[in-house]
Amino acid sequence: MKRYMLRRILFSIFSLLVVIVVVMLLVYTLINRNVIFQTDDVWNKKSWNDRTVYEYQQYQKFGYLDFANYTIFLKNKYEPLYGDQYTKNADYKADKDAIQNAETWLTNPSVQEFIAQNTGVEDAAAYLAAHPGKAIEGNGWEIVYLAPQLTPRGKVKDGGTGYLLAIYEKSVFTRLWNYLGDLFTVETTNDVTDPNLKDRYVRVEKDPYSGFYAVVGSGTTHKYLLYFDSRFPFIHQNWLHLNLGTSFTKYRGQEITEVITQPTGDQVKVKTQFPAMLGSDEYTETAIDFHSLTYNYSTPTKYETERFPDQYTASSYRFGGLSMLENSFVIGIIATILAYLLGLPIGITMARHKDGLFDKIGNLYIIFIMAVPSLAYIFIFAVVGTGLFGLPYKFANAQVKILAYFLPTISLTLPHMGSLMKWMRRYMIDQMNSDYVKFARAEGFSEKEIYRKHISPNAMIYLVHGIPASILGCLTGAIITERVYAVPGVGNLLTTAINGHDNGIIVACTVFYTTLSIISVILGDLLLAKWDPRVSLSSSKGGGR
Amino acid sequence: MSEYTQNKAVFADNAANSKDDSLFYFIDKNSIEAEKITAPRYSYWRSVFRVFFKKKVNFVLIGLLLLIFLAAFVIPAFAPYAPYENVTDATSFNLSPAKAINKYGFSLKYLLGTGGMGNSILYGICSSARTSLMLAVICAAINMTIGIILGAVWGYSKRFDQFMLVIYNILANVPYILMISVLVYIIGSGFWSFVFALTVTGWLGISYFFRTQVMIIRDREYSLASRCLGTPIPRMITKNILPFLTSVTVTLLATELPSYISMEVFLSYIGVGLSANVPSLGRMIQEAQSAFMIYPWEFWPPVAVAAAITIILYVLGQNLADATDPRTHM
Repeated sequence: MKRYMLRRILFSIFSLLVVIVVVMLLVYTLINRNVIFQTDDVWNKKSWNDRTVYEYQQYQKFGYLDFANYTIFLKNKYEPLYGDQYTKNADYKADKDAIQNAETWLTNPSVQEFIAQNTGVEDAAAYLAAHPGKAIEGNGWEIVYLAPQLTPRGKVKDGGTGYLLAIYEKSVFTRLWNYLGDLFTVETTNDVTDPNLKDRYVRVEKDPYSGFYAVVGSGTTHKYLLYFDSRFPFIHQNWLHLNLGTSFTKYRGQEITEVITQPTGDQVKVKTQFPAMLGSDEYTETAIDFHSLTYNYSTPTKYETERFPDQYTASSYRFGGLSMLENSFVIGIIATILAYLLGLPIGITMARHKDGLFDKIGNLYIIFIMAVPSLAYIFIFAVVGTGLFGLPYKFANAQVKILAYFLPTISLTLPHMGSLMKWMRRYMIDQMNSDYVKFARAEGFSEKEIYRKHISPNAMIYLVHGIPASILGCLTGAIITERVYAVPGVGNLLTTAINGHDNGIIVACTVFYTTLSIISVILGDLLLAKWDPRVSLSSSKGGGR
Repeated sequence: MSEYTQNKAVFADNAANSKDDSLFYFIDKNSIEAEKITAPRYSYWRSVFRVFFKKKVNFVLIGLLLLIFLAAFVIPAFAPYAPYENVTDATSFNLSPAKAINKYGFSLKYLLGTGGMGNSILYGICSSARTSLMLAVICAAINMTIGIILGAVWGYSKRFDQFMLVIYNILANVPYILMISVLVYIIGSGFWSFVFALTVTGWLGISYFFRTQVMIIRDREYSLASRCLGTPIPRMITKNILPFLTSVTVTLLATELPSYISMEVFLSYIGVGLSANVPSLGRMIQEAQSAFMIYPWEFWPPVAVAAAITIILYVLGQNLADATDPRTHM
C-alpha cells in the first residue's frame, strides 16, 4: 500500500508539472500577444518607435519577456559618477545621442559595452558583418535597434526617436524552473540585507498582543513568525510562504495566495498599544495589526521612532470581513453539507416509493436541474428569493451581512442536491433487485432494516468517491453564482484573469485547481477503499486492469 | 399465432365434452414444419420505436421540438435578423411588447418587444436558437463519434490504455474554460472556431466514460469465448461490445446534446463566447442580465427558449434511452 501511494504521489507530481508546462505554453506562446493592445488607448496614441517600445514595456509587464533599455543602462553608468546632475554631463549626452545616428551608433563605446553586457558579443560590428541582416544575439538576449525615423526633410518624426533595447524571451523551461524555484520561500535571519541590523535571532517570546507565546524573529522579513490571535484558524505563521504566482494587472504585483487570503471589508479599530508603548498605560485606537509587522528599510520618521522600538514598522490593517477564499468556502461548504443531508434521504425515499407521487415530483425536479442551463435557474432562484422572501440580491447591498450568504448558498445547494438525488435513486434501484436483498427479505428482515443496513451502504459506494472532491471543490468557488450575486470570492479569479490576460494568475489558478483535483481523487480512492473493503487499490487481484 | 390458438380452442372444446381419451388428440407430424425454427420476426429498432411511441408524451415533445426547429430555421430564412436596423432611432430602444405594438402596430416581429438597440427580440431568439441547435447537433456528432471510436479502442487495448491514461490525467486537469478561451483567442470566435474549441478536447470525457464501459464488457464470458474462437478485434468491437452499449450511448447523447447549449450560454456569460456578429442565446442572456429586473422581456424569453430546448432534448433522449434497453421490450 505504501509503495502504491508513493508511486501515485510521484505520478501526480509529474502530471502536475506537465499541466504547468501545458498552461505556460498555452498562455505565453500560443495566444497572440497583440490582443492586449486591442482596447489599449495609450497604444493607439503612440506611433513609430515609441509604440514599439511601449509594446515591449507592456510585454514585460504581462510577463512575456525581459528587456533592458540603453537609457537606463546609461543612467546606471553615470549616476554613481556624477550624482543627480548626471544628465548635464557631456559624455552622457554624447553617449545618449549616439543611437540617434543610424550609421555611426555602433562605434560608440557605451553602445558596445551595452551590447557586450547583455549578449556577450564583444565586437558588434564584426558580428553584424558575419551575420548580415540578423540581430545580435547571445546568452538568450537579442539586441533590438530602433533607428530614428526621419521625415524626408531630415526632421525626427513624432515618436520616431531612436532606441536601443535588449530583449530576453523566456523559454518554457526557464519559466518552469523559475516558477518552481520561487514556489516556496522560508524566512531566515539573513533575509534583511540592511548591514546596520546587528542583532539577528529567532526566539520564543511572550506575545503582548495575544497573551500567549509567539516565535519572534529579528533579521527575518516578518517580526512575528508564529503567533496566536482571535481570528480563525487562531494559529498563524509567517515563516513559510507559498507563492503560486504574481498578478501582473488586476492585483498589480501581489501574490495570489496573499490576494485570496487577505480579509476584506471595513477596517476595524481596536484599543491597543504600539510596541513602544508596551508596559505603559498609554492606549490608542488603531486598525493596525501588529502581528503583521515587516522590516522597513527606510530611515524611520519621527512618527515611527515614537511608536516603534525597532525597524519593524511596516504593517497591514485589521479588516472586519472574511477573505475571498473564506467567502467562497463558507458558501460552498454549507451548500455541500445541505446537499448531502437533503439529497441522499430524498433519493432513498424516491427509490423506496418508485413511480409514486413523490418519485414523480422528484424526477421533475431532477430533469429541471439537469436540463436547464445553470445560468437560467440561478436567476430564477434570485428572483424567487428576492421577490418572495425579501432576501438581499447583491452581496454588497445587504444590510445584515449574514443574509447576503443565503441566496448564494441556496443557489449552490439546489443543483448539487438534484444531482445527488438522481444518482442515489439510480443506485438504490439497481441494488434493490440484487440477490442479497431478496435473500435478506427471505430471511425475514424488516424493509426498514434492509434499506438502512444493506441497500443504502451499497448504493453509497458509488457516491463516496465524490465526497472529497465536493468538499475540496468549495475552495475553488462557484463562477456563475458568485457573479450573479457579486460575492467577493475566488470563483471568478480564473475567468477575470483570462479576460484581463493576467498570466501570472492564470498559471497560479491552474496549479491550485490541479493540486486540489489530484488530492481529491486520491482521497476519494482511499475513502472508497475504506468504505468498501472489497476494493483493493494496490494489489492486482480482483477486477480489472 | 393461429395454429396455437386453434389447438387451444380444440383442446378447450374437447375438455368440455369428454373426460378421458378425448382430452388428448394426435397432431400431424410434418417433417418440414418440424425443421423450421419458429421464432417471431424480431427487429431491434422496430421494437425500440414501438416502446418509444407507446409514451404519448413523446409525441408532444417531438411536436414542440419540430415547432422550435421550424421557427429557428424558417423564420430567419424569410426574415433575416438585423440587430442594427433601428440603431439610429433611440425611441425604439428597450420597448416592452405592449409599447412596441403601440409603435409599430401588431406584427410578429415586435411581438416580444425590442432590445437595447431597437432590435426585434423574437427574430433575435429565432436566429439564436438556430445557432444553438446547430452548435449542439454538430458538436455532439463530432464528440460522440470520436469519443466512441477512440473509447472503444482505448478500453479494448491495454497498451493503448496506459498511454491514453497519462494523456487523460494531464488534459483533464487543464481547466476547460482556460482551454476554450485560449483556443478562441488563437483561432477567433466565429461559429466554426467555436465548434473546434468545444470539440478539440471535448471528446476526452466521452472517450474515458466509454473506456470504462468497454472494459466491463470486454472481460464478460461471451467476449472471452469469442476471443478464444479467434474473432478479430474490429469485429469484436463492432459486434460484441458496441451493440451492448446502445442504451448507454443514447443516455449519453441525451445529456450531451443539451450540455452544449448550456455551455454556450455559460461561456458567453463569462465573456469567452461566440463573437458579436453570431447571434446566440448565450449572448442575448448575457446582454440582458444586468438589467433583467427593469427589462424582463429581454431576459426571460431567451432563457425560456434555452431551457425549453434543453429540457425537450433531455427528456426525449432519456425516453429513447429507456426504449433502447431490450429489457423494456417485453
